[in-house]
This record gives sequence, C-alpha cells and structure tokens, in this order.
Amino acid sequence: MRSAWVVAKRDFQSFFYTPIGYIVVGMFALISGLAFVFSFNMYVLVSQEPTMYGYSTVPDFEETLLSPFMVFCGTLIMFLSPLITMRLFAEEKHRGTIELLLTQPLRDRDILFGKFMAAMGMVLIMMLVVGVHVAIMGYFAEVEVLVLVFGVVTVFLMGAAFISLGLFVSSISKNQITAGTVAFGLNLLLYILGYTGENLPEITPLPEHVAGIIRVPLDFAYQTFRAFVMELPVDAHARELALGVIHPKNVVYYLLFCSFFLFLTFRALESRKWRS
Amino acid sequence: MIQVNNLTKYFGAFAAIQDVSFEVEAGEIVGFLGPNGAGKSTTMRILTGFSPASRGTAHIDGYEVHLEPLEVKRRVGYLPERVPLYDEMTVKGFLSYIAEIKGMRRRARLVESERVMERCGLGHMANRIVGNLSKGYRQRVGLAQALVGSPKVLVLDEPTVGLDPEQIVEIRKMIKGLREYHTVLISTHILPEVSMLCQRVLIINQGHIVAQDSMENLAGFGRAQQLLVKVAANGDKALHTLRTTPGVAEVREETPNVFSVRGNEKASAGRELNAALAQALVQAQVPLVSLEERARTLEEIFVEVVSKERETLPPTGDAISAQQETAGESNA
Repeated sequence: MRSAWVVAKRDFQSFFYTPIGYIVVGMFALISGLAFVFSFNMYVLVSQEPTMYGYSTVPDFEETLLSPFMVFCGTLIMFLSPLITMRLFAEEKHRGTIELLLTQPLRDRDILFGKFMAAMGMVLIMMLVVGVHVAIMGYFAEVEVLVLVFGVVTVFLMGAAFISLGLFVSSISKNQITAGTVAFGLNLLLYILGYTGENLPEITPLPEHVAGIIRVPLDFAYQTFRAFVMELPVDAHARELALGVIHPKNVVYYLLFCSFFLFLTFRALESRKWRS
Repeated sequence: MIQVNNLTKYFGAFAAIQDVSFEVEAGEIVGFLGPNGAGKSTTMRILTGFSPASRGTAHIDGYEVHLEPLEVKRRVGYLPERVPLYDEMTVKGFLSYIAEIKGMRRRARLVESERVMERCGLGHMANRIVGNLSKGYRQRVGLAQALVGSPKVLVLDEPTVGLDPEQIVEIRKMIKGLREYHTVLISTHILPEVSMLCQRVLIINQGHIVAQDSMENLAGFGRAQQLLVKVAANGDKALHTLRTTPGVAEVREETPNVFSVRGNEKASAGRELNAALAQALVQAQVPLVSLEERARTLEEIFVEVVSKERETLPPTGDAISAQQETAGESNA
C-alpha cells in the first residue's frame, strides 16, 4: 500500500504541474458557485412567498436546496472527470513512461490504486470547494448535519464511480483525447439513459392479442431492460442518498460500479502479459 | 548474474526471439548486438519484467523473472530505448520519486538522488524541468534513473542513440565507469561502441543468438594473420623479400610500395610474422615505413556471422513482414 501511496502522490502532484488541475478545480468552483448562488437565491424567494411558487408552506430546506445541489455537484464531476482520468494511463503509454513504471518494483495493484487515489484526490479538492459553499449556508441557516454528511458522501461516491470508469477507458487507450472523449461519451450515455428509462411505460407495450407463451418472455425481457436502464445511471442512485435516505442498494450500486471498472482496469493492465 | 534459457517470444505467429540462451557473469559488460528488429529490445523487456516470454526462463541474481518479478525488478536498473521521463518534473524530483518507489526513506532519497546526479554529470541541472532538457541530458537523466538504488544489473537499451558525437563519448565514458559496481547488458547496433565498451559480445539476428564470445576471440578466431606493409622505395625487391620470408602464404601488391601479406597457418597461430617480416626487410635493406597487423573489425565479424546466418536460414516472406510490423510497433 505504501507503493500505491507513492504513485498516488506523484500523479496527484502532476495535476498541478500542468494547468489541468487548476482548470478542473477552477471550473468546478466557478460553476458550482454560480449554481449555489442561483439556487440559494431561488430558495430565499420561495421561502418568502411560498404560495406564489406553488408551495403551501415554506419548503423543506434540505429537500429543495441542499440535496439537489449536492446531486448537481456530482453531475458536474461527471463532466469534469474525463479531464482528470484521461491522462492517467494514456499519457504514460504515450510517453513510454509506462515501461518505466512497470519495470519498477511495483505490483500492478499499486499502480492501479495509486492512480485511482490520485484522481480521488482531485475529487476531494472539489469537495473542499463544496465545503466552502456549505459553510456559508451553515452560517445563514440551520443545516441538518446528517443530510449534509450524506450529501457529501453522495458526491464522493458519484465521483468515485466516474473516476473508475474514466480510469478504465484511459487504461485501454493510447491517446489522452480518445480516453477523455470516450469516458465523457460513456458518462453522458449513462446520464441520458436514466431519462430514457423514466419515459419508458411501466407496462410492457405489447398488442393485446399476443399469446401468453410469447408474452411472458417478452414481458420479462422488457422489464429487465427497463429496470436496467433505470438503475444503471450514476445519478439515479444519488438523489435518494443525498436526502439522507439510505437504501443498501444505492450504496452497493456505487461499490459495485467502482469495483467492476477497477477490476476491468486491472485486467487491462495485466493484458500486456498475454497480448502480443 | 544473468542466466537466460531458451527464451522464446511470439507476437502472434511470428517469433521475435527463439530459443535465446546466454549467461552474463557478475561484473561483466556485455554487448548485445544485432540489426534493427533482431530481438534485442524484446529480450531486454523480458529480462526487466516488462513483458513475459512465451517460453523459457530467465534468472537474474537467482530470481526467475516470471515467478518473482518484484525481486528481479529490485535488482535491475533499466534504461529503455525510448527514454521514459516525466516531462513536468524537475530532475531532482524525478530521481527522488524513483528512489521513493524503490522504498527509500526521505533522507536516503536525497542522498541517493545527489549521488546519481553527480555520477551522471547532472549536478547543475538538479532543479531544471525535465521537459526543457536537451536530448543528451535527457539520456543522462534516463541513465541516472537506472542507477538509483545501485541495482546489481543494468540493462541499457541503445543508450547512445540520437546523441551528438561529444555526448556519445561522454555517455560511453560513464558506462565504462559502471563496471566496478554493476553487471551491464547493453544493446546497440553501433559496432565500434561494442569494441570500446564490452568484454563480451552476443550477436543476435532474426531472433537467434548467432555468436557469443569475447572480443579477442571473435576478432582473431580461425583466421590467418594479415599484415599491411608499406615501404618507401625498392618495391620489387620488397615484393621478392616478402615472398621468400618463411611463414608467408600470399603477398599482394595493393598499390605501388604497399603490400598486403597473409601468413600461413603455422605462422598465424604463433603470431610471429611481424617480427620475421621486419627483420627480412631490414636485412634486404628495403626502407620500411610501416608494418601493421590488420585485426578483423567487428563490422567484418558481424557481416560475416549475419550473412552466414542468412544463407542457412532464408527468411520467409511472412517472417520479414512480421518483423517489419514489430519494428513499426516499437517505433510507434
């Protein structure tokens, strides 16, 4: 684990040797800051005259402001994560430094976790930015601590999911631009898939005269597909979690998502041993 | 120190190296010689644990490369053909990172990076960004990186490629100095480099080791003594004298007053022709200008060995195209 830490430290530092680290954190601070100001303003307006905005009483602070903002921050990481992950393996391959890394006394898993931790370090910095917003919020309003904690955990888990996916894409590409584009495309695809899922009818759309023997498997296939499309997106599980509602499936989803892509990355790294 | 047994590596159906076996003793500098695409880099990559062999074993300091890769990697310093450097780091930062990977504590890291920088003439470059360095200095940083932690074995893949003549001389000097502490395997396709640096040569061609011996043996082995004799005047008399000297098999007049002389087997074996010819010419009162032995150069040995190999092993169309593919791959 010490070796993984060494790798992580260098990779994390190198984000800030180049402008990319500053750009990512800066963009995050700018956009999340603007979003925070707008939604905070909006909440103030709504709470002054709730009936004008269709609420009967003052809406719940956590529910209408805090958790959606947290989920928004997680979604923002979705857009920025390819910039963080694209270089991690692709650049090493492009520059040939992967040969250096793989001939040092390091295990594959040291390299893998080192890179993952370095990228998560970037996510942590973004969380610090969120922390500033929350501190301002806490100054003006009483915030329910548990919701806050879960909000932060949610952003962190979303970040971990996007990072692990990006890391895998980077590990199979030789070019940073390719790695970034593909990771971004996949993130976006997952995101859009969630909205598609919501629009799919609940009952299998089949003509009425279809016989039972065909209907049953078709129905099964459609329901599986629908469930899959609805459950797969990274942000789908964030909304409940950010409210402080803990369903094990939501936490397990993120753990599985990360382990799956980290496993694939590990295999991709290992593939040099049998690929020619 | 290095033992390689029947190492074979396939890229698809193409064998980049086939049944390569050799040994390197501790403290030796061994030259690994071959044309481009012969399998030098492939062999070195297997030795350093970067990619595994399809068949065969390789031991470094008693540890098998595939079975105990970590132990092997701790004992090998490797300078790949494309010098791998993190352009955004400083020279010192980069070297101390390598030291940290090798498990050194903070204090030891500082001392070690100072030491290797000193060794490779990088002392005044410590705080420069690697990406801004010239090619020669990059090469030195690459070498310094391989030296971090004083590994027992150094594997250097074409360390002088792309350098200007002055830098080449410096790098060679540096490599020569490594012999006291390290066992060095150095690959190159520049022949004079090998004769300058190495005590022993492995010649590889089309994935096969075709010759391995010490420089002296390779240069002199199974070959008649050849001398070049230059006289100031009396060419006819000189020719006659040379022909009648015992031990001479053949004399050819290259240009007026310059003769090439080949000794017979007996004289060549004892290397006694020089003295005999000099004495004979002086006695005949021919003004002798120079008399030099023509040792077989590595170029000649190489061409001879490699072309002999080509006769016995005619390359098929497949092998050639596959070879080009891998050559292209390593350039990419």
